[in-house]
Parts: sequence; structure tokens; C-alpha cells
Amino acid sequence: MDLVLQLLFTGIGIGAVYALVALGFVLIFRATNVVNFAQGEFSMVAAYLMVVFAVDLGWPYWLSFLLALAGMALLGAIFNLGVYYPLRHRTFLPVIIATIGASILLANSVLAIYGPQPQVLEGWFETPGIQLGSVYLDSQYLLIIAVTIVLVIFNYWFFEHTMLGKKLQATSQDKEMASLLGISVSTMIMITFIYSAVLGGLAGILVAPVLFVSIQMGSTIALKAFAATIIGGFGDVAGAIIGGLALGVIETFGAAYVSVPYKDGFAFLVLVAFLIFRPQGIFGERVAEKA
Amino acid sequence: MKLTRRDFAVTIAAGIAAPNIIRSARAQGATIKLGMCVPVTGPAAEQGLWAQNGAKLALAAVNKAGGVLGKQVELVIEDDQTTNPGIVLAFSKLAAQPDIAAFLGSIRSTQVMAMAPDVLKLGKPVMIGGTNPDLTHMGNPWLFRFRPNDNYSGRVIADYGVNTLGKKKWAIVHSTDAFGTAGGKALSDALSKLGAPPVLDQGYANQSQDFTPVVLAVKQSGADVLGTYFTFENDLGIFARQLRQLGVNIPWVGSPSVVAVSSTKLAGPALFGTYGVADYAEDSSEASKAFGKAYRDAYKTAPDNQSAWPYDAITILSAAINKAGSTDPTKIREAILALKKYAGAEGEYNFDENGDGLHGYNVVRNEKGTIVYDKHIDFND
Repeated sequence: MDLVLQLLFTGIGIGAVYALVALGFVLIFRATNVVNFAQGEFSMVAAYLMVVFAVDLGWPYWLSFLLALAGMALLGAIFNLGVYYPLRHRTFLPVIIATIGASILLANSVLAIYGPQPQVLEGWFETPGIQLGSVYLDSQYLLIIAVTIVLVIFNYWFFEHTMLGKKLQATSQDKEMASLLGISVSTMIMITFIYSAVLGGLAGILVAPVLFVSIQMGSTIALKAFAATIIGGFGDVAGAIIGGLALGVIETFGAAYVSVPYKDGFAFLVLVAFLIFRPQGIFGERVAEKA
Repeated sequence: MKLTRRDFAVTIAAGIAAPNIIRSARAQGATIKLGMCVPVTGPAAEQGLWAQNGAKLALAAVNKAGGVLGKQVELVIEDDQTTNPGIVLAFSKLAAQPDIAAFLGSIRSTQVMAMAPDVLKLGKPVMIGGTNPDLTHMGNPWLFRFRPNDNYSGRVIADYGVNTLGKKKWAIVHSTDAFGTAGGKALSDALSKLGAPPVLDQGYANQSQDFTPVVLAVKQSGADVLGTYFTFENDLGIFARQLRQLGVNIPWVGSPSVVAVSSTKLAGPALFGTYGVADYAEDSSEASKAFGKAYRDAYKTAPDNQSAWPYDAITILSAAINKAGSTDPTKIREAILALKKYAGAEGEYNFDENGDGLHGYNVVRNEKGTIVYDKHIDFND
């Protein structure tokens, strides 16, 4: 039983990381109908910003955190202007390829500036974790789970109960209609990119103390997060969270009870099963194409 | 004199060919070129940089001492991207340059395995650091190993754990790539021979984000000692931390990555008290100390095996070419194999007919973050 609880905790913890990155995927997809393949790199860049502020410059952790998120907001804005905006009237394919290009650019820019050495970033808390019976709760994972819960509530409130959230929803559902109603579509898309970059950055900063800060940290998480969004139902916020958590738990239990080397295989096996039997995902609409 | 059609054709052909012949002769004449496939990008870019540092340090020393065959030695570097297709491409680029006399391959067995068929086809000496025993036992006469192979690391880990630490209930954790699989098997075989077959043999895939299931498997196995073969330091760091968090504090004797500079930095206290086999240990010999000092002076950081083997490879290769008196591949091969009792940074080189230069390992200990030399275990077979 202790073993199950331990695995469940770790599974949910790692799943929450996938969920946070998946959320960024979903928000941009809803707003622009394209998948942003640089979402994982947002996490990586934010983690490096933390290393620069908190470790290299020795600034207080909370200040570094705020500055890193501000940096991510800026990066999101630049990303929108540089990658999405010039291609906004084209089909989805050039935009997707542009995001892949941007992801390679970001990864290699950080490599060029910071070098290939993985970096250590301390966690928020002095205590590394709590021993609850025979189950060890890593404090950083506890924080990640807590932040995910808060973000789920915040997103619900933001999108359902604020005017800005409703405008963003309207834009994502029908840009022309939203525009006719006087909503500035390009502003809404700009806000979406900024918010997604901040979310991705948040995931990166939270996971850095656990996985270390490295150039490839973003791409490995993003691949799983992408699978999570498909499992959850592409374009669905709740789906991304549930998909991420489910993926984390499935791969952890699969590794423990079936095979460790094929851990990543379970995630993608679930993905393939969903693509075959339920391509719209858990929460997706049955009609894949919007009318 | 009557100019025949044939004379005319010969003259024209000579005229066209002459500048190229002269140019290539000049290119061949100016320097002795050595090719190096090394990760400049990808997960091992960090180690790739150290490998280049080691190679360049040796290169500077060789050139300062008069070079090779009276010429300066030049290193031509190609990025292997830390991938198998990457190294095949990098090697083909280097192999296409006819004036490169010999090459440095990878420290990663899986990459050496990938490039080996092309090495055989080209028929020029390639120095390698990959430790999968098969690499020098598959009938390829052009691979020369500058680190002891995993038969030795497995035997040394087993010998140290069983005979020095007195532990017999082993859990083995290894990567499922070529290096980790071969290492895990070598350790398992060595333990069986010592009458202590492992109670757990657990593989994992590289770049895992979580090792909880692995740690729990170790915990449940009831093992009293842990033997590991980790390929990437960040995997090792995550594993080490989770191991300690979940309360596993049994002695740990691992492959060189356990005592590598970057693992020590990443994992911090989680690796305190662990033992590792290290082909490079600064205090193990005078030559190792000398290399350590030169490396520190040049790069202001401690060296490890990532930089020590390319250093030895360049030094020994240069000595061998000098001894051979030419860049003829067969003569270089003979000269390398003829080297006996050569004191290198990694240890004493005695090349056997398979191309294995070293036949033993040092055991070192992580003493609160400092790597301390413990003992050297050598085998004659």
C-alpha cells in the first residue's frame, strides 16, 4: 500500500508538470489553432533565467522568480510578434514550422550563451521533503501539485467570470465574430502568448530543482505534455490537466509494475490508443473540425 | 619537333592537373592532420567540451615538442551531436579528407558501434573511449581503446564490493543503451563468478525524469550494496537524490559517471560516501598528477576521464606515428600495438592484439564532494 501511495504521489507530481506545460499548449491552440512546439523551450528559458538571477547574481529567490516570469512575458510578446504575427494569415503549417524553428533557435541560443553544463537550482523550501509514514513527499513536488490546483481554479475563474477571459474565449472560438463584436483579436492573441509563455516558464522554474536545468529539459517535458493534451482532448483546459496527471500516473505505475526501460513507451502507447479509439480525447468534442 | 595529338593531350592534362597536385601535395605537406568526432551539441555537449580541452592540451604539448614527423599537428573537429546518426555523418565528413592520418572517435560505446562499419571500410586507426567490451572484439583492427573496457570495470566493482566492502547482496541499476547494458552484464557476470549473483538487475531508459520506480525496486530487493552503470550525469543526479529521499543508504559502487565532476556537482550530498571506478584518478600515478596539473593550469577546473582519454590518445597516437616514421595506417597500427608500459594520464598502457590499452581501474571515493583515490585494481588477462 505504501508503495502504491509513493508511486501515486510521484506520478501526480510529474503529471502536474506535464499538465502545466500542456496548459500552455492548449491556450495557444485555442487562440490561434496552431500547436506551439516551442512551449517546452519556454520552460527551459525560464529555468535558465532563474539560474542567472538567483544563482549567478545571487538575488533573492522571490525577486528572481518575479523577474524570470516578467522575462517570460516579454519573450511571449516577442514570440507572438516575431513568429506568429507575420504568418497569421497563412495556413497552420507554416506557423507550426516557424514554432519548431523558434524552438531550435531558443535552445541553441541558450546553449551558445550559457554553455552545455547542466545547472543546479535550489528549490523554494529549505526542507527537501516530508516523511508521512513510509511515504516521502518531496516538497518541490508538493509545491508543483499545489500550483497546478491553484491554476486550475484560477483558469476557471479567469475564463468564465472575467470580461478579459470571455473575450479570449470568444476570440478562440470565432475570430471574425469576435472582431465584429469589437474585440481586438490581435491584442487577445498577444495576451494568450504572454500568458502561455508565463505558464510554461512557471512549469520550468518549478521543475528545475527536481530535474536540474539543462538545454534539453524543455523538449523532454514538452513531448509528454503534447501527448497529455491529445489524451485530454486538444483545446480543452480541463482535459490538459487531467491528461497530464493521467499520463504521469500511468507511466509511473507502468514503470513500477511492468517495465522501467519502457516507461516512456506507456505514455505513447496510451497516446496511440487514444488516437485510434478516441481521437477527440477525454473531453474533446466529437466533431474534430470546427464548422 | 612535331607535336603529336597524344603529346598535346598529355600536356593539356598535365597543365590542368598540376595545380591540383601541387595544392594537395602542399596540403599534405604543411601539417599532420588528426580528425576528432566529438559532441559539440546534444546531451553530451558538456563532456564534449572537456574532451576537446584534453585533446588540445596534448596537441599543444606535442607541437611544442616538435610535432609529428617534423610537422605541426592539426586537429580537425566535427560535431557528432551526441547521436549515432550524428557521429556517422561527422566521421564520413572527416573520412572524406584524404590527408587526415588518424581519428578520435567517441567515449560513447553506442556511437562507436554506429561508426565501426565505416571505420573498417576506411581502414585508418581510430582511437576510442567507449568501454563496451565488444568494440575491440568484433574483428575491427582499426579501433584502439584508451580506457579500460567494461569487463574490467565490472570485475573491479564486483571485486571491491565483495572483497573489500564484504557485501554479497547486490542490486544492479543500468542504462539500457549499449554502454549500460554491456556494463550491467559484465558486473552481473563478475558477481556470479565471485559467488554473489545480483538480487536485482534493473535497466532504465536514458533521460528519465523520475526514478521512483527504480529506487523502490532497489529498496524492495533487500540488497545491501548497489552497483550502477549510468550514462548521463543528470539521470544519475536525479536517481541519487531520490535514492536518498526514499531512505536507501546502502553502499554504492558505480561506473565512472558516479565520480564524474558534473555528477558530483549536480547531486551534491546525495553522492557523498559513494565509490566509483575511475579510469582517471589524479593521485593514482605521476603521469596522472602531471596531466591534472597541466589541465588545471590551462582550464582552471579539475579534469576527469572525459578529458584524460583524448589527452592520452593524442599523445600516444603522435608518438606512434613518429615511431612508425610515416602515416601509413598499417604502420601506425603496428606502432600502437608495440607500445608497452607507456605511462599515460589514464594509467599504464600495454596494448593487446585487440587494441585494448588499459587493463584495470582505480577505485575512488566521494569524500564530501572531493574525489579521493582509494586503490588500483589491475588484471593480467
